[in-house]
Amino acid sequence: MTVATPPAPVRTAVERRPAEGPGRGIKPSGWTGLAFIAPNLLGVVAFTLIPLISVILLAFTDWNLVSGLGGIDFNGLDNFVAIARDPGFWNAVGLTLLYVGVSVPLTVVLGLALGIALNRPLPGRAVLRAAFFLPYIVNTVAIGMTWLMLMNPRSGLVNQTLDIFGISPGWFASSHWALPALIVMAVWGGVGYCSLIYLSALQDAPSQLYEAADIDGAGVWAKFRCITWPSLLPTTIFLAVTLTIGASQGFGLIALITSGGPGDSTTTISYYMYQTGFQFYRFGYASAIGLVTFAGVLVLTLLTWRAQRGRALND
Amino acid sequence: MRGELSRRRFLAGAGAVGAAGLLPGCSGDERGSEILQVWGGVPAASGPGKVVEAFQRKFPQYKVNYTRFVNDPRGNLKLDTALQGGLDIDVYFTYTSASLALRAGSGMAADLTDRVKADLELALFLDAEQPRAFVEDGRVKALATAREPYFVLVNETLRRQAGVELPRRWTIDEFRATARSLTTDRTVGAYTVPDLARISLGPDYWYGEDGKSNFDDPVFEQTLATGRAMIDEGSTFRWSEVLARHLNTYQQNSFLKAEFNLWPTAPFNLRYLYDGKLYPHDFKVGFVPPPTVPGGGDWNGGSYNNFVMMNPKSAKTEAAWQFIKFWLTEGSAPMLAGGKIPTLGNVTDDQLVTGLLGKEPDKYFDLDSFRRVVLQAEPKLATDTKLAGFPEITLAYNQQRDLCWLGEKAPGPAIREVYRLANAAIARNEGSA
Repeated sequence: MTVATPPAPVRTAVERRPAEGPGRGIKPSGWTGLAFIAPNLLGVVAFTLIPLISVILLAFTDWNLVSGLGGIDFNGLDNFVAIARDPGFWNAVGLTLLYVGVSVPLTVVLGLALGIALNRPLPGRAVLRAAFFLPYIVNTVAIGMTWLMLMNPRSGLVNQTLDIFGISPGWFASSHWALPALIVMAVWGGVGYCSLIYLSALQDAPSQLYEAADIDGAGVWAKFRCITWPSLLPTTIFLAVTLTIGASQGFGLIALITSGGPGDSTTTISYYMYQTGFQFYRFGYASAIGLVTFAGVLVLTLLTWRAQRGRALND
Repeated sequence: MRGELSRRRFLAGAGAVGAAGLLPGCSGDERGSEILQVWGGVPAASGPGKVVEAFQRKFPQYKVNYTRFVNDPRGNLKLDTALQGGLDIDVYFTYTSASLALRAGSGMAADLTDRVKADLELALFLDAEQPRAFVEDGRVKALATAREPYFVLVNETLRRQAGVELPRRWTIDEFRATARSLTTDRTVGAYTVPDLARISLGPDYWYGEDGKSNFDDPVFEQTLATGRAMIDEGSTFRWSEVLARHLNTYQQNSFLKAEFNLWPTAPFNLRYLYDGKLYPHDFKVGFVPPPTVPGGGDWNGGSYNNFVMMNPKSAKTEAAWQFIKFWLTEGSAPMLAGGKIPTLGNVTDDQLVTGLLGKEPDKYFDLDSFRRVVLQAEPKLATDTKLAGFPEITLAYNQQRDLCWLGEKAPGPAIREVYRLANAAIARNEGSA
C-alpha cells in the first residue's frame, strides 16, 4: 500500500507574518478595520438601524410623540386591523399604484428611446447627453416651482400652447389632472437618468452579434428584438426596480406643489404616511403604514425580479 | 509600537471622542440653566426682541434667550421633539389649536391656575364668557397673549373709482353685492368669503352638543354655497387660481398689486401695508367689520390666540412666570409691530395706531374707519376648548372646500362628507383619549 505524501505547503505572501511583508508593524487586528469603518458604521446604526427598529416597534403602539416615551402603549395588531379598514389608506394605495404604474414604464420606455438615439453619432452629442441628464440633478424645489408656473391653468405656457388645440387641463388645480401632472414631472425628471444608464449598457452590447446579424441580413427591428433588448434586460430590470421603489416613496414634489390635493387626489401612500405621522401625530399608525408599504414594495420588487429571470442575453 | 492599533487604544480613542462630544454638552447645560429659554414663532425683529430687552432691563437678574421656530408643521414638530427630548425650554408659544390640545393634554404645559388666580391684573383670564385661556379639566394651561379680531380691508382707491360707499356694517348678502360692484375686468371684488359658520356659531363651532361634529348645521353648507356662487359670478378669485398660485399663502401680494379689493383678514397682515419701501403700493386701506349672517350669532370670527405656556420641566419657574406676566402686561406693546394686539388691552389708542399702522398711518390707512372698527368696537372673540381630532377635521374641511370651490362637487355632498369624516375623527380621538 502506498501512501501519497502531500506536498509541503508553500507559504504565500498572504500568509506571511506581517513583520516579513510590506505592512511591517501593523498587526492584522480586527480593530484596525473596525476603526476605519467606525464612522460609517456609526452613521448606519444611528440613521438607519435604530430608526428601522424603532419603526418596527412603534408600529405596534399608539404613540403620538408629544406624550413622550412614557406614553408608548403597545396595542398589538390594532394598527394593522385599522389599516385594513381605512378607506384613506386604500385610496392612497390605488393612487400610488397608478402613479408608479404609469410613470415607471413611461420613464423606462422614453429613457430607452433616448438612450438609443444618443448612442448614435450626432452633432453635439455630449451637450445633448448633459442637457437630458440635467433634470435629474436639479433641485426638487426649483423643478416644482418651474412646473407650477408652466402648468398654471390660465397663464402657464403649457396651457397657452394646448389652447391652440382647444384643450385646457386644470393641472394642479383639478383633482382629475393633478396626478397626471405629477406623472409628467416624474417622467421628465427620470428620463435623462434612464437614458444615461441605457447608454452605458448599449456600449457594452456584443458588437459581434450585430455583425453576424448584418451578414444574415437582419433588419433594424429584428436586431433590436433579438440582440439589443435581451442585452438590455438586466439594465431594464434594475431601472424598473429602482424607479418603482423611488416612485412609491415619491414625496417632495407632492409636498411642495399639491399637499396631497385637490381633495385627496394626490395623496399617495408616502404623503398619507406623512400626514398621519407629522400632521395628526399618530406615529404608531404611521409606522404601521410604513411597514405595510415596505412589504408591498418588497413583493413588487421580487415579482419583477422573478419575471426577468432567464430572459437576459447572458443567461 | 508605533502604528499599531490595539483594542485598548481603540477604546481609548472612542472614549476621547465621546468625551469631546459630551463636555461641550455639559457646559451648554450649565450655561442654559442660568438663562431663561423662550421659544416663539414670531421673528425676534417683529417684537419679541424688544420685549426681551425691556424684560432684562427691568429684571437684570434674569437673562433671556429667545429662539424662533417657524410656525408650520415642521417647526411645531421641532418644538415638540425639543420639549419631549428634554431640551432646556422654559416658556414657549402655541399658535394652532391642534398643537394646543396635544401639548396641554400630554403633560407639556404647567398648571398656571393658582398663579393666575393670585394676580388681580390677570383676572380676565378667568372669564368664562369669552375665555382668554386654554383650560383643561378646570386647570389653566395656556394664556392667550393676543386678541385677533377679524375685519375686511378695502382698497380705497378702487372703492372710490367704483363709486361704492364704505359700509359701516353689512350682511353677507351686502358683502357679496359690494364685491360684485367692485369687480372689473382687471380686479376681483373679494379674495374669498369669510367663514360664515364661525361668525354665526362662535367657539367650538365644529363640535355639537351630542359629542358628534356640528357640520350638519346648515350654515356650513351656506358658507360653501356662498363661496361657490361668488366664484361662479366672478366676484371672488377662481379657486383654481388660488390653488395654482398658492394664493392662500401670498394673499398680501395680490392685495398690494390691486388684483382684488375686499380682503377678509386679521391684524397680523397689516404689517405688509404700512411699509411702503418693502411693500410698495399707492392706495389707502379702509376697514369694515366682518359681515353678519342673518339669523346667526354676532361673533366676530376672530379669536384670542398666540398662547404662552410654561414647560412643567422648567427649573426656573419663578423667572418663567415673571417673563410670562411681563409679556402679558407691561411688556406687550412691542408686539403690536407684528399685528399682535395685547389680550389685556393694556396699551393706549395712540400706541395701537402707531404700533399696528406704522410711522405714517395717514399715508396708508383710512384712520376714521380704523378707529371705528378696531379701536372703538368690542367684537366678540372666540377661544376653542373642544379640540378632538382637530387636525384631521381641518384637513377634511379644506379638502372638501377645495373640491366644492373648484366646481367638482356640490356644496351639499361636500359638507356631508366633512360631517362623516369629522365624526370618524372625533370618535377615534375620543376613543383613544
